[in-house]
Amino acid sequence: MDLSRRTLLKLLPAAGMLAACGKPSKIRLALNWKPDPEFGGFYAADFAKHGLDVELLPGGSGTPTVQMIGAGSSEFGIIEADELLLARTKGNDVVALYAAFQNSPLGIMAHGSRKLESIADLLKGGTLAIESGLPYARILQKKFGFDHVKVVPSPGGDLTTFLNDEKFAQQCFVTAEPLQARHKGVDVKVFPVSELGYNPYTTVLATSGDYLKKNPALVTNMVAAVREGWRAYLDNPAPTNEKMHGLNPSMDPASYAEIAEAQKPLIETGTLGKMTKERWETLAAQLKELGDIPSAPAAGDCFRDL
Amino acid sequence: MRKALPAFIPFVIVVVALESLVRAGWIKAFLVPPPSAVFETLIHDWRELFGALAKTSVGALAGFALSAVGGIAIGVFLSSSSAIRQAFYPYAVFFQTVPIIAIAPLLVIWFGYGMRTVVASAFIVSIFPVIANTLTGILSTDPALRDLFILYGASPSATLWRLRFPAALPQILTGLRIAGGLAVIGAIVGEFIGGQGLGSVVDVARTQQRTDKVFAAVLLASLLGLALFGFINLLSRVALRRWHVSEQN
Repeated sequence: MDLSRRTLLKLLPAAGMLAACGKPSKIRLALNWKPDPEFGGFYAADFAKHGLDVELLPGGSGTPTVQMIGAGSSEFGIIEADELLLARTKGNDVVALYAAFQNSPLGIMAHGSRKLESIADLLKGGTLAIESGLPYARILQKKFGFDHVKVVPSPGGDLTTFLNDEKFAQQCFVTAEPLQARHKGVDVKVFPVSELGYNPYTTVLATSGDYLKKNPALVTNMVAAVREGWRAYLDNPAPTNEKMHGLNPSMDPASYAEIAEAQKPLIETGTLGKMTKERWETLAAQLKELGDIPSAPAAGDCFRDL
Repeated sequence: MRKALPAFIPFVIVVVALESLVRAGWIKAFLVPPPSAVFETLIHDWRELFGALAKTSVGALAGFALSAVGGIAIGVFLSSSSAIRQAFYPYAVFFQTVPIIAIAPLLVIWFGYGMRTVVASAFIVSIFPVIANTLTGILSTDPALRDLFILYGASPSATLWRLRFPAALPQILTGLRIAGGLAVIGAIVGEFIGGQGLGSVVDVARTQQRTDKVFAAVLLASLLGLALFGFINLLSRVALRRWHVSEQN
């Protein structure tokens, strides 16, 4: 009792100081995975040049970045476009600012030896490891049915089962896991999920509507820094890759270089990071049809072009 | 029923407080769902949730049963000599410290997707308390009674089964109570990776930002843990009623 009171007394002035400050010294950017080329532009960005002190927070499987933004435990976060729509219909006012991947890198990879022609063939037998909670999984199920395939949870980036079981297909980033599997000597056939007509913006920089309203200039600077960062990373990924490899050595330097090259076409399609109302509307309509959201949020509220 | 009443009071207080805080806007509903939403989900998705609960129950119970049988057997074995204890006890501790989240993906590789992985996960996390409590129980036999058995020339096996094991029952049952809750946790962790039951429901609901459904599934999981706890208490009452103070109130 005595101890807790003493702790409380110590904390009170600290809390007061925080409240008086108003603005925390560091701006946090929560990532939804470990440092890797997918975040190259964010690690390449020169935030200081724009007067920003930004701390990148690496995440892991299931890091709830969209909720972190809404709760204010991170000023910025990396999310996917479909997450944002789900969040908005639940009253979590999150706004997209910059879409690093204009085309979704999500895909399914299977052994080449199976001679599969299309995604539909994938569902005719064997095992399919996917994140069943993702909308594309239900699009697959609605379109083709899961009656002939065994659906199991995605093992993330772990390839062990895939390498050992020819009939095993798994969700992947088309830019990453297939390259690793090929390095292990396996012939891989990749089916991008965008072939299903489902193509959400991915690796999207977002903040809360509230933060945007209170710090419009800061947010504009943030987006400018990120855009320059991606430009720099696309032009010369080597220095940033070295930095990220230091933070996440689980992948070898050659893979960093290879993935950075492979992901370019998904990123560089026009003005870097730019989003359109039409694509947000399409995505919202798809999610509504799936029954994931009760009504489509106004596309104009979902993103801000800065 | 009257005995269960006090347990409901904190429950009602927490539910009413949460509901009011969320409705008043103090807590955002996408972070903590209002209890009414959790309740609605329980009703609306009951078929899916209770089907998942049934699967999780099978996995947790099977893992728990293996832990009970295996843990008691290993505990008895370790009690047989101090040399055996020194040789094997450190390996038993392995089960206590193994980070199940880290090895769960390996379980899938060893046992395949589905029930076997779930049972293995539930078993691994729940066996240690049974071993440790069985061992301590057997080793803390009243020395006076042990001397009495020696005086009457009882064989080691008679001493074990007539004296040391029965005297260890209160501690073994304590081990089982701890193991029951752990088996439920182990089963759900196994299901995250192995893909079925409440673990799978939580995983999918989390991806869909359905905190209400996550809480509904967690609520069912804790009810399962509670049921297991109640079952062991019943067992304890039957086994100890006649002679142990803990069951004579």
